[in-house]
Amino acid sequence: MKMILAVMYREYRIRTTSLTWLFYDMFMPLTYLLIFGIGFESAFAGGVAVAGDRMGYNAFFLAGVLSMASFGIAINTAYGFFVDRDNGIFYEFLTYPMTRSEFLVGKILFNSLLALVQAAITITLGAVLLGLALRWDLIGLVAFGQVLGTAGWFFFLTTFAIRIRRNDMFNTFLNVAYFVLMFGSSMFYPVESLPRWLQAVSFVNPLTWHTDVLRYATIGAGAAEVVALEGVAFLCFLAVSFALAVQTIRNPLRA
Amino acid sequence: MNLHENSPIRVHDLVKVYRGKSRNPVKALDGLNMEVARGEIFGLLGRNGAGKTTLLRVLSTLIEPTSGTAEVCGRNVVKEPYRVRQSICAVLQENAVEVFLSVLDNLSTYGRFHSIPRRQIRERAESVMAQFGLEEYRHQKVIDLSGGLKRRVQVAKVFMVDKPVVFLDEATTGMDPVNKRATLDAIREHARQGRTILLTTHILQEAEELCDRIAIVDQGRCLVTGDLAMIKSMATRAYDINVTFERMRPEILETASRYPLLKLRSTSTTLEMSVRGSEVSTFALLDALSHVEPIVHFEVTSASLEDVFLELLGTSGKEGRAGEKS
Repeated sequence: MKMILAVMYREYRIRTTSLTWLFYDMFMPLTYLLIFGIGFESAFAGGVAVAGDRMGYNAFFLAGVLSMASFGIAINTAYGFFVDRDNGIFYEFLTYPMTRSEFLVGKILFNSLLALVQAAITITLGAVLLGLALRWDLIGLVAFGQVLGTAGWFFFLTTFAIRIRRNDMFNTFLNVAYFVLMFGSSMFYPVESLPRWLQAVSFVNPLTWHTDVLRYATIGAGAAEVVALEGVAFLCFLAVSFALAVQTIRNPLRA
Repeated sequence: MNLHENSPIRVHDLVKVYRGKSRNPVKALDGLNMEVARGEIFGLLGRNGAGKTTLLRVLSTLIEPTSGTAEVCGRNVVKEPYRVRQSICAVLQENAVEVFLSVLDNLSTYGRFHSIPRRQIRERAESVMAQFGLEEYRHQKVIDLSGGLKRRVQVAKVFMVDKPVVFLDEATTGMDPVNKRATLDAIREHARQGRTILLTTHILQEAEELCDRIAIVDQGRCLVTGDLAMIKSMATRAYDINVTFERMRPEILETASRYPLLKLRSTSTTLEMSVRGSEVSTFALLDALSHVEPIVHFEVTSASLEDVFLELLGTSGKEGRAGEKS
């Protein structure tokens, strides 16, 4: 635990060196909701349907914004490996008296806390400013989903960040992953309205599972049994990603 | 007493082959053997690509060996990497600093990772900042410091903690002479306190001044291991003797040529000779010469580490791998 706290402390020290960056990070999802969400709310005046229930676009999109924020934090944290590698500190870290798991868990615990703060700001101000009707009784599930979602995506991306040594290649990988995962998921639109081939992509996409859990937890949309299944699937994705990340970081030089 | 208490670093028949994506695997370590005693400063010397950094990477658990064993404080680096990391601290070849943090924060975070009690962190940080001349930069972000200062921060960190084994990979690279001196003093002081220090360097004078024992490594093997005197004795040209007389007489050359000299040259007043210590007694030679003509001045210079280094590696480079001697 001591080492996990040390890693968290290090992340905290680095994050607080730029308060502008921290501020932007915290309010980015809300901004997204206010600009993109309001724009689409006007465009789809009739709302969208999920599992037969109609709802306004902003209410629908809130979960998408939260999962996008998780994914964004995971990307930044994974990208940190490149920054650390460029500064030489990455390999020195791996000689410190901690296990590889402690290193990864410490990194993501701090960043999951950031994701929680982001979510709290987005949900609270979203509800106040946009008048969203939320399932406050399920707020614990939102927090849980946000932490596990951020962790799952971070572990997934860690494997690639460590294996891909080139910054430009990792950028390309991120661009492709971002594009395919986000637009092939239920983040921006209900899966039911998609063509069959895109629905198939969406059903096997962990970002859909994550977003659907958050959507259920924020506005109660979706069938409970399907969402539960998606939650379990995401936990499996997280466990496999964690195992792969630890395995990869055990041999960081690929030697 | 356990074996590891006498020899905290033990390497046996260590092999590391880098396979990578290229077709030709590279054998960085090729059956390397060595032991480093407690409190010893042990220097690894060798050309670029000799295997020094690979050895440090194996010992600091960054990479796994292909075969053979390596132990630090009695812990196998492959089977118990976490335990190994608990007993080491390392300065790697690359600059390794938190560039976005201040000097003080760099030291504080390092202290936390090495479980220094919180109230002692500040005290120890102040002490190493004074030792390495970093006090005036304490609140400056490391990203704004010069390369030499960054290196100082990196080296200062390891002297904050009390781990029994320290790895230093070209630690003084980029430092000015004053800070290099401070680093060498710190290394010596910590060895005196019982810490075992394994270092690599390209600066042979530094190794000569600092190391209790030295290994010259080439193509992943130890060509020679021993203390400085032992290694120097391996040089073909063991001693240079220059003797100045009031005047040079033919008898002087005659007397000198009775000895098995490696080199004999004379100027108008000075005789320049090279002898192998085991073959000629320097004192006997000087005594014989002084009976021929009074000696005005003489100088005896032993072979430098650089001589041995160049001799050993020059040979192994041209003629393939030299046999292992120790």
